[in-house]
Amino acid sequence: MGLVKTVFLTEILKGLSLTLRKLFAKPVTIQYPEEKKPLAPGFRGRHALVRDPATGKDRCVGCYRCAQVCPAQCIYIETERDPETKARIVKKYDIDALRCIFCGYCEEVCPVNAIVLTEFYEYSGYRREDLYFDRERLLKNWDEFIVTQKRPYFNPFWRPRGVPERKLPAAKRRAEGI
Amino acid sequence: MAQALEIIQKQKDSEQWDEPYLVNMGPQHPATHGVLRLFLELDGETIVRCDPRIGYLHRGVEKLSEHRTYSQAMVLTDRLDYIASAANNVGYCLAVEKLMGLEVPRRAQIIRVIVCEMARIASHLLWLATHALDIGAMTVFLYCFRDREWLLDIFEEICGARLTVSYPRIGGVRLDFNQKIIDELYRFTEEFPHRIPEYETLIDVNRIWLKRTKGVGVISGEEAVNLGLTGPSLRGSGVGYDLRRARPYLIYDELDFEVAVEFEGDVYSRYRVRMKEMREANKIIRQCLDKLAECEGEPVIAEDAPDLVIPYGKIKRPEPAPHPKRGYLVKGVEVPIVPEGEVYFAIEAPKGELGYYIVSDGTGHPWRVRIRAPSFVHISALPALSEGQMVADIIAVIGSVDIVLGECDR
Repeated sequence: MGLVKTVFLTEILKGLSLTLRKLFAKPVTIQYPEEKKPLAPGFRGRHALVRDPATGKDRCVGCYRCAQVCPAQCIYIETERDPETKARIVKKYDIDALRCIFCGYCEEVCPVNAIVLTEFYEYSGYRREDLYFDRERLLKNWDEFIVTQKRPYFNPFWRPRGVPERKLPAAKRRAEGI
Repeated sequence: MAQALEIIQKQKDSEQWDEPYLVNMGPQHPATHGVLRLFLELDGETIVRCDPRIGYLHRGVEKLSEHRTYSQAMVLTDRLDYIASAANNVGYCLAVEKLMGLEVPRRAQIIRVIVCEMARIASHLLWLATHALDIGAMTVFLYCFRDREWLLDIFEEICGARLTVSYPRIGGVRLDFNQKIIDELYRFTEEFPHRIPEYETLIDVNRIWLKRTKGVGVISGEEAVNLGLTGPSLRGSGVGYDLRRARPYLIYDELDFEVAVEFEGDVYSRYRVRMKEMREANKIIRQCLDKLAECEGEPVIAEDAPDLVIPYGKIKRPEPAPHPKRGYLVKGVEVPIVPEGEVYFAIEAPKGELGYYIVSDGTGHPWRVRIRAPSFVHISALPALSEGQMVADIIAVIGSVDIVLGECDR
């Protein structure tokens, strides 16, 4: 380090000139509650059961794949058989959002794209029960979410890019926006 | 603990001042990067003995893995080194694939290299930010977070999560890149090399930074090897050992990059190594993007990759119990999901050699998962690095070995 450099603190001045330049640059910060960052499609946020526009109900068929694959085991399903048609009826579909780790396995394995993690993250609750979503609540989550979206809404995990068609169930191959 | 209490008792009892003075640092100290606790025995301001205590973030990841299927255990690896979770996932998937003898499609391999290197840059940026903040350079912290944010946004676009990505799958990756991600990555690789000089302008020749880092926490190459240091902490001591070159995995043998090595072995040279590595990682991403264009439209998951949900004939209850030895029933034939055997696979994670040792007994669950975490080894090297240093230098030393307690305690 030369004498001039030592006396005049050149390296400090260089650093200060950089920060001074940045002072007049476009700010990168976002004033959060007023301004919001656009979320990427497929962001793994609050859970919802897709309300099928054709039937007005959810699409769940009670196959238990999501409950099985869930690493946190936070999905609780109960089904029963219709005595006449032998069709499976979903009696209970609950998600404990406090246990959920938002890995997105459930929406990936769902053969009918019934469960989805929506691009909505600003939620909280005063009590534990507020974040224990039952079937009605999950459908309500969807209604609340879908009105904020551009239609048709299509989640990238409904028909994952780059996954061979043969590996996808039929409903996922045919998946379309809502 | 008993020993520490004894010393405190002695200090209380005696009037002598020349005895070592015991200071407890952490586990809630802002400069310990998590919940690391250090017992420091001081003689004046010199550290006589440094005794790291760990385990405050123990969640039992290894044990939990034994009760989950192979795919379910992957999401636990996100939570090891949570600032470079993509690299952990890739390491785990590679280990399981080696055990299964599964061939991953080329496009998936390239994508995995890209996310690994993105994780490396993100991890090094966070390291530089917090390390500089500990030493007293606030501005660098903000600049680094600005650029890390950009990477996290790209991660969000890729897989829907910013930190715990869970992006790779056994046999490939979750979904392909779209054009938006590729364009954004091109923009990032174009811009990022101009961002690194900004950090360097602020700290590289700054005399306070040099005084705090040069000649501090020196370790020779031989000693570093003996202690088991890996990654940038080892390469800062002049040993050019990089798993990406020594035992190439994925497509690293096709890529053109340099292994960053510095020879001083002090905090400053470890910092230099990481700065070089960020540049090299940027170069690697650039090359991979060009390679990605060559295999446009190819699948990203292997044909024979296991399903996330283990197939087992008829669904009876939410959680099936596998036969203890023979696996699950598929159409009357018992098919082991993962064959019996054991495997060790290590990758060059941002912090060092991250190894997974998996023992399989042929059922759907791993029988044992052992994680060779670089942070754990680096913490065990803290006494060797810090003894004889001044007490203020322990901050620089802890920062320079780059530890994450989530990975150390597991």
